[in-house]
Amino acid sequence: MAQAATVETHGPSAQEHHGPQGILKYLWSTDHKVISMQYLFTGMFMAVVGGLMAYVFRMQLAFPGVSVPGFGVVSPGEYNALVTNHGTIMIFWVAMPVLIAAFGNFLIPLMIGADDMVFPRINRLSYQVFLLSAILILASLVVEGGGFGGAWTAYPPLSAVSEYNLTRLGSSLWVLAVAMEFVAFLLGGINFIVTLMNARAPGMKAYDIPVVVWMIVLASILFMLSVGPLIAGAVMLFFDQTIGTGFYDPGRGGDPILWQHLFWFFGHPEVYVVLLPAIGIVIDIVATFARKKLFGYKIMVYTAVATAVLSFFVWAHHQFIAGIDPRMANVFTVTTLLISVPIAELCFVIIATLYGGSIRLTTPMLWALAFVAEFLIGGVTGIFLGASGSDIYLHDTYFVLAHFHYTFFPIAIIGSFAALTYWFPKMFGRMMNDTLGKIHFWGTIIPFNFIFIPLFVLGLGGQHRRIYNFQNFPELAAMQPVRVAATVALIVMLVFQLVFFWNFIRSIRRGEKAGRNPWEANTLEWTTESPPPHGNWPPDEMPKVYRGPYEYSHPDRDEDYWPQNLPS
Amino acid sequence: MAEHHHPNYKKIYLTLVALLVVSVAGPFVGILWVTLITAFGIALVKANLVIQNFMHLRWEKSIMKWMLTTSLVLMALLFAGVAPDVMKHEGRGWVNVAALDAVERGVGGGHGEEGESALAAAEEHPQEEATEEDAQSEVTAVAREFDAASQYQAVCSTCHGATGDGDGPGAAALDPKPANFQDATFWADRSDEELLKAIREGGASVGRSPLMPAWGALFDQAEAEALLAHIKSFAGS
Amino acid sequence: MQKPLATTRSATGIPTGRLAVWWVLASEVVIFGGLLASYLMFRLGHPEWADAAAVTNTWIGAFNTFVLLSSSFTAVLAHQAAENGDGKLAAKYLVFTIGGACVFLIVKAFEWTAEIRHGYTITANGFWSFYYTAAGLHAAHVIAGAVIMAFIAAAAAKGRELHRVELIGIYWHFVDVVWIFLFPLLYIAK
Repeated sequence: MAQAATVETHGPSAQEHHGPQGILKYLWSTDHKVISMQYLFTGMFMAVVGGLMAYVFRMQLAFPGVSVPGFGVVSPGEYNALVTNHGTIMIFWVAMPVLIAAFGNFLIPLMIGADDMVFPRINRLSYQVFLLSAILILASLVVEGGGFGGAWTAYPPLSAVSEYNLTRLGSSLWVLAVAMEFVAFLLGGINFIVTLMNARAPGMKAYDIPVVVWMIVLASILFMLSVGPLIAGAVMLFFDQTIGTGFYDPGRGGDPILWQHLFWFFGHPEVYVVLLPAIGIVIDIVATFARKKLFGYKIMVYTAVATAVLSFFVWAHHQFIAGIDPRMANVFTVTTLLISVPIAELCFVIIATLYGGSIRLTTPMLWALAFVAEFLIGGVTGIFLGASGSDIYLHDTYFVLAHFHYTFFPIAIIGSFAALTYWFPKMFGRMMNDTLGKIHFWGTIIPFNFIFIPLFVLGLGGQHRRIYNFQNFPELAAMQPVRVAATVALIVMLVFQLVFFWNFIRSIRRGEKAGRNPWEANTLEWTTESPPPHGNWPPDEMPKVYRGPYEYSHPDRDEDYWPQNLPS
Repeated sequence: MAEHHHPNYKKIYLTLVALLVVSVAGPFVGILWVTLITAFGIALVKANLVIQNFMHLRWEKSIMKWMLTTSLVLMALLFAGVAPDVMKHEGRGWVNVAALDAVERGVGGGHGEEGESALAAAEEHPQEEATEEDAQSEVTAVAREFDAASQYQAVCSTCHGATGDGDGPGAAALDPKPANFQDATFWADRSDEELLKAIREGGASVGRSPLMPAWGALFDQAEAEALLAHIKSFAGS
Repeated sequence: MQKPLATTRSATGIPTGRLAVWWVLASEVVIFGGLLASYLMFRLGHPEWADAAAVTNTWIGAFNTFVLLSSSFTAVLAHQAAENGDGKLAAKYLVFTIGGACVFLIVKAFEWTAEIRHGYTITANGFWSFYYTAAGLHAAHVIAGAVIMAFIAAAAAKGRELHRVELIGIYWHFVDVVWIFLFPLLYIAK
């Protein structure tokens, strides 16, 4: 766990106020590092929940009707609840809290040379609201009637009418949990944005900010601007569910298509909300372990902004077969194909940074490289879905599912592991075991591909999503061995995660002590102790910045790195 | 910075009140475009006065002006993208029958009326009738007589068949097949308690196929008993 | 808790608190914007809602608009007083603003009670669903704003944290602006 400094400097300074100690630390602390740990561990717990859900429903798909070890027989209603909540939890309670809240909280003040976020108490409040939302979503799974099973997209009337979804309590708790998570991230996001805008160290100009910080803040802005209409929509859905309004009921003057639009107006920017931080993490790691200046820092920032802007113009590609005007579909096809350009460019800039670099193949670097490779597969398969013509066939098949797992898995899982293995020394003051790290890496990546490549095949073969048992479809039943193979690969992958947990926990307690800067990196977080004390630096030693964050292998220097805070 | 700019707040306030008066008076003229201008045009003017002068946006750094403008532009984008589907009631290859009906009827459903889904309206299933007479009361859950036959039709017949023979359209995809209520052997070794439990808590709760869902959220005990009685009427048909 | 050094920095030149309030408003614009855009689409597509819309009492709406405008006026006077360092005067104006909020809410309570008694409930039809949801969301923001304002007024009366008077004022003006649009949407457009 992040600990307070072991060496106290006494004097009239903010250091005096170490913040609460012991167990109370987790109730009252406003220290951004403590809050980041809270988000991290909550996110990791929810990842286990989401992963086990995947285990259960994939077992059902591979061996229909057979009792799943540790769960029992899966009923159709339970299957729906599992796939619904797997998606919901992975996006809102794993990807966002880990990539944005945990790493944003930990890194932003450190990387900009500040002693904390500008609003520490709002920071604490955001976690408390988030924790409440996590409790609500978990509660929704166990209340009478069971968890909501109307897909993470929650289209009405299925989501609005309990006579259809049969999960009156679960559905309402689901909506409340998601809405509360939105509020938590609005609170947190405003903190991040204002902190970056205002609290930078003296000398840190806009182009001296590490890319990962840019990305997290851009993501926060993107989230904030896109989620508003869905919050309004969620209030309307909640009223439809609970008090019987008819916002989405055509017979009462409402329209279910409104929900679709409100959802996807947010839903599409949301994927870039999680992509940008992940790719920012990868970029920083690649620069450090290629020992090379980033190829096109400014291009990266502008491209990220362009992606964020464009992301508002593509949403209806999720609705190509929902009956939208084909002329609208043409527009959205063009914009969707366009948005692949800046993202591909980000990947190319990463590759260009690697080219000619002096590569250090550490575990974080492996994860960063895997991100690029796997995400590219996800990206190119998105083209088939973005073009409305081919989407007519592929919509709602496993092709879509495989596409978004080839994007989301790199984002949420690979990105998280990359960040964790890279910043672990700074967070916990110790090194993770690199051998175990590599075993875990290969044991995750190889099975991952064996899970999802078959799903592309199944999707092209016409296998539809959200179906509980494919044995009931004679033309699809023949592909059952493929489903079994995917499930076996998933189990292998889940088993290898135990290697990570073992490594993680053991290294916290008994890992080799890390110094301040084990990776020889340039950014400001590596200039302070590992873990940083309360206040991050002694108040009279707050850093000043003299150069950008990627001055690796500079010709004027003997060493191949040049920290930002060194005067020369 | 804003600290050094204080316009004449009183003057602005009085302007705002005067504009309010105009906007209230506007509809009395009776011409639509006059009303629209006085209502919404003035709203824009008033909002602008408040934003620029009370909130001091005109002296604020431009970055915030840009961000707020972006928010508004996004709302315009939302409207532009969604209105063709939600504001209009027909398009290429689709018609919102329920909405067109409502517009034609000239009533948006009145008050106190039960809603009916457009799908049901289109398929003309027998429905619980919410009568126009009920419209005068407030909308609370209108207690209605439980029509077991029509509930069976709406909820159960898809799998169990319209005549209870276990061969409804949904049965094609199911294995084991749904129960055949016409078959005497089905009734031979099942108690009422077991059947009621199956209806309300699902097939798995009585050791049968989990494909039979739990309908307890939909039917309370009395309603389930009414359904059971209805189902028994299939036996021997 | 002592303020971190970070809070006092200002690379943009905008004080941190004010910058944050602007971002809060940006997020609120899209929340209310989404709700009102949805309402607008329905209202324009359902001309038959005019019957229901005709029921809303324009005079009550106009009075409430006047109340909120006046409360914005007192809020900005509070800001001016705080700028001059006069915490007590600022607190006094803030109390007037809170008073305006209370009048607004009380009038609304009577208005809604009358409407509900006549059967115009939130589930009556689409227009009423939007009416109560939009005005209700707005009222929730009025309540929240008034509560926070009370805390700020209490501190200002003791001469503390005077910069916050401006911040709550900006939020309050936003609440007023939302109502400036709700008024014609729900009361005049018939």
